Amino acid sequence: MTLGSLTGKQNLRPEMTADEKAWVEEELKDQIARYETIVKAMEDMTAEREQWVADFLHRVQTRGFHWHAEQRRVIPKEEIRPRDGRPLQVIY
Amino acid sequence: MARPHIEPFVDRDVGFKKMTMAGMPNGMQYKTLSMDTDNGAVTMTVQYDAGFKQPPGFCYNEMEIFVQEGSLKYGDQVCVKGHYLFLPAGKAMPAMSSDEGALCLVFYNNGAPSFEESDANHDACDEKNFASVNSYDGLDWTGNALFPATAPGCLLKMLHYDEKTHGMTFLYCMVPGFWQDNISYHDCAEEAYHIWGDSWMMQFGTLPTGGYFWRPAYINHGCFASERGILAIGRTDGDLHNHFHHDPYSSPQENAERAAARLARQKPAMYKWILTQDHNHVPHDFENPHDHVDPMEADTAQVIQPDGSHWP
Repeated sequence: MTLGSLTGKQNLRPEMTADEKAWVEEELKDQIARYETIVKAMEDMTAEREQWVADFLHRVQTRGFHWHAEQRRVIPKEEIRPRDGRPLQVIY
Repeated sequence: MARPHIEPFVDRDVGFKKMTMAGMPNGMQYKTLSMDTDNGAVTMTVQYDAGFKQPPGFCYNEMEIFVQEGSLKYGDQVCVKGHYLFLPAGKAMPAMSSDEGALCLVFYNNGAPSFEESDANHDACDEKNFASVNSYDGLDWTGNALFPATAPGCLLKMLHYDEKTHGMTFLYCMVPGFWQDNISYHDCAEEAYHIWGDSWMMQFGTLPTGGYFWRPAYINHGCFASERGILAIGRTDGDLHNHFHHDPYSSPQENAERAAARLARQKPAMYKWILTQDHNHVPHDFENPHDHVDPMEADTAQVIQPDGSHWP
């Protein structure tokens, strides 16, 4: 999809110059490294996150779940989908 | 066109790089926050050095600039913090300079950075969406008109809104002590940068000043909290609907299916119409007969799988 505007032409010279292509390739290499660092950092937070999830599931069953603005609904236990063993993946 | 899921990333953790690409002006340092893997569209923190000068000229693709600190002279206008510029592709910028330097966010929406010296618009430029506003001075905070809406204490200032896609660029803030106990996902990609403050999400932890994310569609985020409050700039590439739920383990595929099930419930006639009558092409829009964006042909962004393939 596109950010910004769909009105009018978004790129008047879609073919990159050789300089632009080289710059983009370098930046994309850095981006892969950045992504891998993030994945590792997020994996390292797993135990902490599991506790946050447990706290959240407790709160929505006691204090309530924000379904719209300030509107909250207490979620009954039977509406909590049982965990099926999958890991809690957060980066895709 | 797609960018990988970059979340969370804090630009304060990395140093600036000098922009040395041929054609680009001197005195520009940058940190890349995320980049489209196909066309080089990029979001960057940019430091224009004190003494920066750029002659009149244009960028071949659409740009947005937000001034965070310092000042940037745009022709005769001095753009101070909070100033937002939307520059359509090929829109001629006057001479630009900065005496004291300026820290900005710069978005190149549809391609890599480019600069062509010129005192006139590109022949094919359509400048009607050009915008220049000091968002801190000239715009009011508004409540969130979405349904369902975020919890009270989250306010918006709209900077740019695309009438066709409903993609938008906006400032948002959260009051100190903000909290929202739900998990959200959207049908569009979402991008945000923390100008000041902190926010917390159950998946990613606390994001401080300088914190950034690019999140493809259908990825769970939330519940939410902010201890000190935040001021941030956000963007989407399409209509932002809050699909709230309370299942921390749902996958993007399950979330997309749930969104489609909602569409079938809420707009059954349209859903049935799309699925039947062999509509394997983009429906004709009599108001916009020349639109050529075909979701079936274009890569509709979103998740890049570990094997490099894109989903959906």
